[in-house]
Amino acid sequence: MKILVCISCVPDTTSKISFSDENKFNSENVQFIIGPYEDYALARAVELKEKNSDVDISLLNVGSSENDQLLRKGLAIGADRAYRINSEPSDSNFVAINIANFIKKNNFDLILMGKESIDYNSGLVHYLCGSLLDIQTFNPVTFLDLDKDKKVIIKRETDSGVDKIKANLPLILGCQEPIAEWKIPNMRGIMNARTKDLIVIDPISVSSSLEYEKFSLPPEKGEIKYIDIENIDILINELKIKNL
Amino acid sequence: MSSLVFIDLNKSKISDSSMQAATIANELDNDVYGLTTSKDDEYISSLGNNGFDKIFKIDDFNNIDAIKETIINHKINTIVSSNTNLFKEVVSQISIKLNFTILSNVLEIIDNNKIISSIFTGKAETQLRVDNENRIFLINKNIIDSKKFDKVVDIISIDSKISQNNNFEIIEQTLIEEDISLNDADIVISAGRGLKSPENWKMIDELAKKLNAATACSKPVSDAGWRPHHEHVGQTGLKISPKIYFAIGISGAIQHLAGVNSSKTIVVINNDPDAPFFKAADYGVVGDAFEVVPKIIDSLS
Repeated sequence: MKILVCISCVPDTTSKISFSDENKFNSENVQFIIGPYEDYALARAVELKEKNSDVDISLLNVGSSENDQLLRKGLAIGADRAYRINSEPSDSNFVAINIANFIKKNNFDLILMGKESIDYNSGLVHYLCGSLLDIQTFNPVTFLDLDKDKKVIIKRETDSGVDKIKANLPLILGCQEPIAEWKIPNMRGIMNARTKDLIVIDPISVSSSLEYEKFSLPPEKGEIKYIDIENIDILINELKIKNL
Repeated sequence: MSSLVFIDLNKSKISDSSMQAATIANELDNDVYGLTTSKDDEYISSLGNNGFDKIFKIDDFNNIDAIKETIINHKINTIVSSNTNLFKEVVSQISIKLNFTILSNVLEIIDNNKIISSIFTGKAETQLRVDNENRIFLINKNIIDSKKFDKVVDIISIDSKISQNNNFEIIEQTLIEEDISLNDADIVISAGRGLKSPENWKMIDELAKKLNAATACSKPVSDAGWRPHHEHVGQTGLKISPKIYFAIGISGAIQHLAGVNSSKTIVVINNDPDAPFFKAADYGVVGDAFEVVPKIIDSLS
């Protein structure tokens, strides 16, 4: 069973976002992490490996060499080897085409991604890869277990509820909590990670039809209006919510 | 050229997000078409009021081949849609197969080639230029108010021959029993650890009922199992932008704010006057939730 976990490397969820005068993301004092949704995906892959000895986990990131330390962290958590497609990703399309190209060359049974990356939030890369490769894609997936005969059981959230699905491999899944609990690497994992392979691959070029012209922060909220606890009627009147 | 709106249904009626998508489509193009799974012709005829000239009826949005054909035959070069997972899946297929460019999390359409989009989970924005005549706008909820139109709808059934997919089988379907879904609600009542224990959600439910609102919670609350996971809003949960967001007993950590800061009006109720959430609020009540919430309920009665 070959599993591929695709990770994004993004600013920590507690980061304040800012941009330099040159219209560039300001990475000073920002700590980067494995995207929280991909962290769930990796944790679930490692849990499956703990229960099934034939599970083999590859890790993939599309990004620059600054992400190698996070790929090492993924190896310490339990992946067997890591790949990095060496590039500065321009948009979802670029990432999807490069991942799809990689998958085509290295067959995988199960491809796990996050529901979305928390930097550009498009939530499209899994669907785009599925479309490029004609592989069934489910998102967001909150439960995953292996079944016999190359099948898996998953739960996928929909607008109206949850579907429990039995599906044939190969599959692409966009993962979300509570599929697994985040894992913290232990000392043995960290030592082992040093000897695991981290393979750097050249990207394929993709022409982009999108240009990021400007970055900015959202408009600031106006002054807050405090309402005294004894005058709640004022709040109700201002919100115009009576007799909706 | 013309625009196509994917119509999302909420209790068999067009959702607010899709009405807003139709209004945006009318600002971009004269001819606005809709795609729906509704079978109710009488209801579909009334969608002229929402700005549609033509409605295509389809059995299933997963019938990509039929949607592709419709796009080609009717010279559609713009698709406007709400940001649901189903529609994201469909437009991804369209984008790859027909060379459309997808613009996600759209906050504003400046002109046909320029938009503003939300990034970093609402913590920042970017202005994007698109260099492709074929575009898909995935719009965030409540970025405009929908308008009323006076159009007459032409109804066209699309021949649907969806091939059976043998790769998977849905073995069980669980419907979430809630009157108002978090994504569609105009008002959301959200509560955090300040409520101290799950039994105390009774007053939150009562307030939500009075306001026809959906309920939500912060991550620590869903992690503790006090509320179901699908109610968790924030950076790693659901991102929402209702007209009014009530935050009760939630301190307002940056991860929580990221998921809700695009709400039109934010009301914060917290007994800690230094809670960071007050900085992001339009209205603030400094006080004990157990005192303030019953007062609001009383005041609404």
